[in-house]
Amino acid sequence: MGRFLGLALAALLAVGVVAAIGYSLYPRISGSAPQGLHTVRGVIGSEKQPFFQDPEVVAAFHKHGLDVRVDTAGSREIATTVDLTRYDFAFPSGVPAADKIKRDHKARATYAPFYTPMAVGSFQPIAKLLQSAGVVRDAGGWYTIDMKAYLDLVAKNTRWSDLPNNTAYPAAKSVLITSTDVRTSNSAAMYLSMASYVANGNNVVQDDTTASKVVAQVAPLFLRQGFTASSSEEPFRDYLSIGVGKTPMVMIYEAQYLSAATARDKTLTPDMTLMYPSPTVLSKHIVVPLDGGGDQVGRLLTEDQQLQQLAVKYGFRTSNAGAFTNYLKSRGAAQPPQLVDVIDPPAFEPLETMIQAIQQLYKGS
Amino acid sequence: MPHYTARSRVLASLLCLLALTAACTTSQTTSSSGQTINVLAGSELKDLAPVLADFQKSTGDVVAMHYVGSLQGAEQIVNGDPSDVAWFSSGRYLSLLQGTRQRILAQQQVMLSPVVLGVKHSTAVGLGWVDNPNVTWRDIANRSKAHAFRFAMTNPAASNSGFVALVGVAQAFSATPDALQAGDINTGALKDFFTGQALTAGSSGFLADAYARQQDRLDGIINYESVLLSMNASGSLHEPLDLVYPKEGIITADYPLMLLRPDRRMVYDRLVAYLHKPDVQRRIMTSTARRPAIPEVKPDPRFPNRVLIELPFPSSLDVVNRLLASYLNQIRPPSHTVFVLDTSGSMDGSRIESLKRALLNLAGADASLSGRFAGFHNRESITMVLFSSSVYNKRSFQLGETGDNSGPLQEIRNFVNGFKAGGGTAIYDALEAAYQIAGTARANQPDDYYSIVLMTDGENNQGRSGSTFLSDYRGWPASWRTIPTFPVLFGEGNPKELHQIADTTGGTVFDGLHADLSQVFKEIRGYQ
Repeated sequence: MGRFLGLALAALLAVGVVAAIGYSLYPRISGSAPQGLHTVRGVIGSEKQPFFQDPEVVAAFHKHGLDVRVDTAGSREIATTVDLTRYDFAFPSGVPAADKIKRDHKARATYAPFYTPMAVGSFQPIAKLLQSAGVVRDAGGWYTIDMKAYLDLVAKNTRWSDLPNNTAYPAAKSVLITSTDVRTSNSAAMYLSMASYVANGNNVVQDDTTASKVVAQVAPLFLRQGFTASSSEEPFRDYLSIGVGKTPMVMIYEAQYLSAATARDKTLTPDMTLMYPSPTVLSKHIVVPLDGGGDQVGRLLTEDQQLQQLAVKYGFRTSNAGAFTNYLKSRGAAQPPQLVDVIDPPAFEPLETMIQAIQQLYKGS
Repeated sequence: MPHYTARSRVLASLLCLLALTAACTTSQTTSSSGQTINVLAGSELKDLAPVLADFQKSTGDVVAMHYVGSLQGAEQIVNGDPSDVAWFSSGRYLSLLQGTRQRILAQQQVMLSPVVLGVKHSTAVGLGWVDNPNVTWRDIANRSKAHAFRFAMTNPAASNSGFVALVGVAQAFSATPDALQAGDINTGALKDFFTGQALTAGSSGFLADAYARQQDRLDGIINYESVLLSMNASGSLHEPLDLVYPKEGIITADYPLMLLRPDRRMVYDRLVAYLHKPDVQRRIMTSTARRPAIPEVKPDPRFPNRVLIELPFPSSLDVVNRLLASYLNQIRPPSHTVFVLDTSGSMDGSRIESLKRALLNLAGADASLSGRFAGFHNRESITMVLFSSSVYNKRSFQLGETGDNSGPLQEIRNFVNGFKAGGGTAIYDALEAAYQIAGTARANQPDDYYSIVLMTDGENNQGRSGSTFLSDYRGWPASWRTIPTFPVLFGEGNPKELHQIADTTGGTVFDGLHADLSQVFKEIRGYQ
């Protein structure tokens, strides 16, 4: 009797939770679409929420007869736990999650309307310090951070105060890039992708055996940080508002930084800079249509010039490189470098194996 | 049996969540005049009332704040509290406690304030700590251990400023440059540090007031930078406080506004957008001395313009809970607690039963997380003074240094279960007896922490009068007079009498009329 009641409640609860996951971001209280519009529902990574909330984006979809409503969830969740039957499209960040959804739901085509490389937000004095330690190189206005040299520094438990001639940042804490929680967030999974590639002798981790072997080397990057935030917005905000004392280096999407750089609201201070990991990965934003409506959203995001231009405003790169450089130029923002050292992230399964192994280490710690 | 209990609790929380989701679908209280946002909040946010009133004027939305202790609030939220939004000075404990339950749907920091040390100016001059960026938490521990530095800090199990300070100090004293693990807790160094803790409280605001009252016997206070700056501006201090930002690093409270209910997303977004307006951020900075959370607004000259190293924070709930338990059971100065309990005739029935339940909960019957932290701790001395027409029973219990203490806790429960109501009400005779007990104990153990709880449901009608008590009180040594009494207003208790006792002794009155007595006793534990 007791067990039956428990099961029944659990089932009811599951329904309730699924109903509670989503919330409409569309700025309207009533449940129905504006007259004559077809409502299309999607579940997206949270970093694209401001884009979908933008009135110009809403209007651009309206022009094509679509009223697009989105809920947010972590990309890993979208690929694993979110009930996608309620949606017309999924729009996770990162190829691994998108591939998994595509396979599970037998989606015929996917769309990759925009992407952004992973980058490390930092400060000039920190970059200079790491430059003399041989970890960072000046790339003319920007920096590149050698991931192999960085991992070596971390493996030696280097503290900031251990770095030679360090008067700029003599903190006793470890040299570590601040990231999000690798158990929930795509940007941390992208960081894991880069680190595991380097730890695996510059090879993409392709199978579970290698994945398990590499974990010992890459898990400390996350575990040693202690508390990490679950969404990519939070550590970036700490970087902007609390600054170098809290986050001397933060793993972010280039788009986050460029979006702040072009906003001209004095959000970025002159001593802030970007360091591009070498190698880096591209976080591709991929629409996986689950039906015809979702397919239309994917196609519009990729082909509609206005929507493409709006994506650029949020710091994303599109297939039109000229639009991206022109926009930055028009806003007086510096042009990011040509990225040459770009690798692919692992497929979903080996990535998942690594994340689950790290998850176990969190439980044990 | 434990299995059954665990399942009952799971069922209870399932029911709570079901109730919540049901409410989600039915309570769309939308109207042209705006919505009400129910916020479960830390008491330190009371100073934002004028800002929230203007938010209401500008949007029509009403912010209804419900104040609760930070740890208890976190526990309530994971157990399904139906509030729309949670707002505490830090969201980390809740983040760790929620595990995979994902109660926090979105969060936005609203303002910033590091938890730091304020040092009385003459002391700071003597130690060379004025504007000295090289002072460390270790330096403070060394002074403290030598009985040369006495400070105030809130109870970390009740208030976020104490909690954040404890985590920061534990991190600073660990050998690791990384986030603290269970094995890194340096109990010895922490004991040295907290030797000097001479004042505690369940809230940051009360602590600031209590410091002002006892400033002549103290050297400093750990609190939010904002509270310390406000204390300096208040005119209530004989000497200003010099702010010390210890070199190992600090932890900054970031006051995240946390969305708990998906259907309240829009009104939540409106509140965040309002609070993030540059002019509102400037106003918050000016009026509350907290730093702005948006980079467009720069901190004003009151805030030192130097880099503050931020310490890492543990990623494990277990580590944090162990640290709290060590603090309470091993690290902090032991506490002597005297309960002065009215068992007069009017207490008969449900009143004495709820008093018993409140005390039984502290003696181990409340197995919840907050219940365990509020319960009696290792090394604690508990005395119960029972009175009606006169004091008729005084009984002390001593909890051991280590072990499970099940013996003394069982003794307390047996004793409490024997309470019987009858007779009149001799409040002041009983209170004097309590001061005799606490004062005498203090003469032998001056570094321990002393407090008195007075629970009565009526007016004094036997024994000495209030004015006799007050004149006796004035004649007592200073070491007795710094022992606060926390009266609980209950039944037909006289608010005026009880407030006078609290004001005279440096305590505060707790309301047992509108809240469950067990809850009230739990809250008072933060002050002991």
